[in-house]
Amino acid sequence: MSVIGSDEKVLSSRYMQWYRFSRNPAALIGAVIVLSVLLAALFAPYIVPHPDHAGAVVDFRSRHAAPDMAHWFGADKVGRDIFSRTIFGFRISLLLVFGVLGISVPLGATLGMLAGYFGGWTERIVSGLTNVMLAIPPLVMALAIGNVLEPNLVNAMFAITLIWWTWHARLVYRVSKSISAEDYIEAARMAGASNFHVLTREILPNCIAVISVKTTLDAAFVILFGATLSFLGLGVKPPIPDLGSMVADGRQFLPEKWWEVLAPGFAIFYATLGFNLLGDGLRDMFDVEA
Amino acid sequence: MTHPLLQIFDLNVSFSSYGRSTHVLKDVSLKIEKGERVALIGETGSGKSVTSKSILGTLPDNARIDSGSIRFDGQELFAMNDKEREALKGTAFSIIMQDPLSSFNPVFRIGRHLDDVMYFADKRSGVKSSAKQRMARISDVLRQVQLENPERICAAYPFQLSGGMRQRVLIALALLHRPTLLIADEPGTALDVTTQSEILKLINQLVDEEGLSLLMITHNLGVVRQTADRVYVMRHGEIVEHGPFREIFENPRKDYTKGLIEAIPPLYGDGVVDQPVAETRPIIKLEKVSKSFEVKSGFFGKKAGYPAVKETTLNIAEGEIFGLAGESGSGKTTLARTIMGLLGPTTGRITVATHQHGEGEKVTPLRELTQIVYQNPGTSLNPKRTVSETLSVPLHFVKLPKSEHRTRMVSLLDQVNLPESYLSKYPHELSGGQKQRVAIARALAANPRILVLDEPTSALDVSVQKDVVALLQRLREELGLTYLFISHDLSLMRNFCSHIAIMLKGEIVEQGTPAEVFSNPQHPYTRALIAAIPVMSDAEEEQKPKVSEEERQQFLVQARS
Repeated sequence: MSVIGSDEKVLSSRYMQWYRFSRNPAALIGAVIVLSVLLAALFAPYIVPHPDHAGAVVDFRSRHAAPDMAHWFGADKVGRDIFSRTIFGFRISLLLVFGVLGISVPLGATLGMLAGYFGGWTERIVSGLTNVMLAIPPLVMALAIGNVLEPNLVNAMFAITLIWWTWHARLVYRVSKSISAEDYIEAARMAGASNFHVLTREILPNCIAVISVKTTLDAAFVILFGATLSFLGLGVKPPIPDLGSMVADGRQFLPEKWWEVLAPGFAIFYATLGFNLLGDGLRDMFDVEA
Repeated sequence: MTHPLLQIFDLNVSFSSYGRSTHVLKDVSLKIEKGERVALIGETGSGKSVTSKSILGTLPDNARIDSGSIRFDGQELFAMNDKEREALKGTAFSIIMQDPLSSFNPVFRIGRHLDDVMYFADKRSGVKSSAKQRMARISDVLRQVQLENPERICAAYPFQLSGGMRQRVLIALALLHRPTLLIADEPGTALDVTTQSEILKLINQLVDEEGLSLLMITHNLGVVRQTADRVYVMRHGEIVEHGPFREIFENPRKDYTKGLIEAIPPLYGDGVVDQPVAETRPIIKLEKVSKSFEVKSGFFGKKAGYPAVKETTLNIAEGEIFGLAGESGSGKTTLARTIMGLLGPTTGRITVATHQHGEGEKVTPLRELTQIVYQNPGTSLNPKRTVSETLSVPLHFVKLPKSEHRTRMVSLLDQVNLPESYLSKYPHELSGGQKQRVAIARALAANPRILVLDEPTSALDVSVQKDVVALLQRLREELGLTYLFISHDLSLMRNFCSHIAIMLKGEIVEQGTPAEVFSNPQHPYTRALIAAIPVMSDAEEEQKPKVSEEERQQFLVQARS
């Protein structure tokens, strides 16, 4: 018979995570910003005043128009509404985020997990490869690929992905290596679990928190990086609206026509800030290092 | 009028976390006279450490003192400002920490740790001192805690010292400023039993010589007998019972205290249980089994063999509870893993049932035959998987059809006395004892014939330990299992095992039935080991084997090197 009963109330980890998250104003603001960016991109044609301006429209009457009621953030050199184009610009940014992270995160996480769990040669090859990739500056890589192939969105994505998976591989490798040493992994193996089972059912669930935090923080970097590339002319081709190339276009008319860079510039700042705040909030919520 | 050195009146402390407030200390009152040794005992979460932190003033930020008072030498602590309280730390009272390793910053030398404490305390009290003067004082204190050669100790990094030496340095840290009250929070719990007994002797001696008062916080009742005049029993933040230790131990008034005392397995006397000896054919046979690990020295260094198990020959009969005792690093776990087929023997031959593996052969884990229950159920269950997910792994392995999984899981949980509803719980929703039951259920799921129990109760409270041991005994009778029980808790092994072997540095130095080994230990190490066990009564103390000072030192040194 037990002398001590455990009458202590146990808080579920979900409750504790939600508690931490909901008491963190920065995280909540981040979540709202990210949500607003996603919605704006998704419903862009329905919310902007001039949806047709996302394409090749020319309206010379309002060329370089200053902000007014018709054009809230002014108009560009061919008279297109900057606000409308900025909202559409989110689409390209997010497309880049999903494209790059959708490939590099699963790839990096899988390689990192394998390396951490199996050790030995797998570990040497993966960590060798990541070290080599990390030694190449991402911008140089992107410029090289953009010049060798063709400077367009897909190639920009390809260039970023090529570099990006290494960060996830490193991170997940570290977590997976420490988890592999836990008693419960040996216990699962003693209970007859296969390598595949151990990797997907025992190790992966313990990596999810770290991966999701890192991915959210990465989204901010990818947006910035994508904007940098298109600013340099390696991204989307006109007339598709893109935040980076809009800043590049407006730059020629600074400082007189300041509004032309204001909206796209602010949009980059807004989205980046949102993902960063959300990522930090998730990190505190899951209580992990990423 | 004289007043007690420390007096706590109706102290109430609550913690707020995640928007909820938990009442942790409920009307705790406690008194320590000058020169008195008082023990505060209780199980995990009973509020022992919170009490000591309230005295020291080191409660975490989310703790709130609701009411009550603490008086030290007649002065009210809660009425003081931060600076005054700060000044009391180390000089009025100081604490000996529990964990000798994590209490040190690994990148600083021991001397730096000691000197820092001294330097800042001097600065606070406005005393000017040179490094040389401080070093002289530090050397004095180190000699006091029986560390010869203070210069060598000071120049060492924490990892270069043994556990026992680190614990001594921690005591020295607490003594640097001649406190009047020494608070010891489970000293030596993390150490081997022979080292622990040395540490307790040292604390007792210091208290005696320096006229200190002692507040000993512990869950080990054997330790209490050695180090306390009066005892406070704590449970769920309340003082259940207090009085002179003899009175509490011999005549406990409250059921809780009684249960706590009865849960301790006796070493000698009428209460000792002899397990029936199995007269069956051996299921495990080891012939001259050795296992050595390759240790690389330096970057290009040669590989040298470190022998973990040396030429061990033993037989374990079917249905036996075979106890393998020894201190940390003696090779117990390596031997068990070799038997389970997780490691191949370097030389020798192992037979488990009909399966053989020997020198140079490729080994596969003997999953159908042997299963293991680990020491710490907190780390042996995956925190992200529910009980039913954990149990499904071995069921899948024995190729049980999916449709029968649930029935089998329910019957497994039933075997370990857990209700069906626990299937959907995550490990963090379970208590330590419940987690260990799930771990046992997982081990049983594949229908093994041999269960390796690697210190299955050492992470649990005594009362929970008693339940788990009773459960294991019942399962062995019902299922006809053979246990290989690895432990350093000799009083538990005395009552639980039917055969016992003592390991020292990779060799089995003595084996036999517990009755034989304990009543007439042959090897001096066995004697030293048994003599060091903290026991509950004087009668048991007298029946322990006598060990000469020489023998004792010999094995302490061995354990240290």
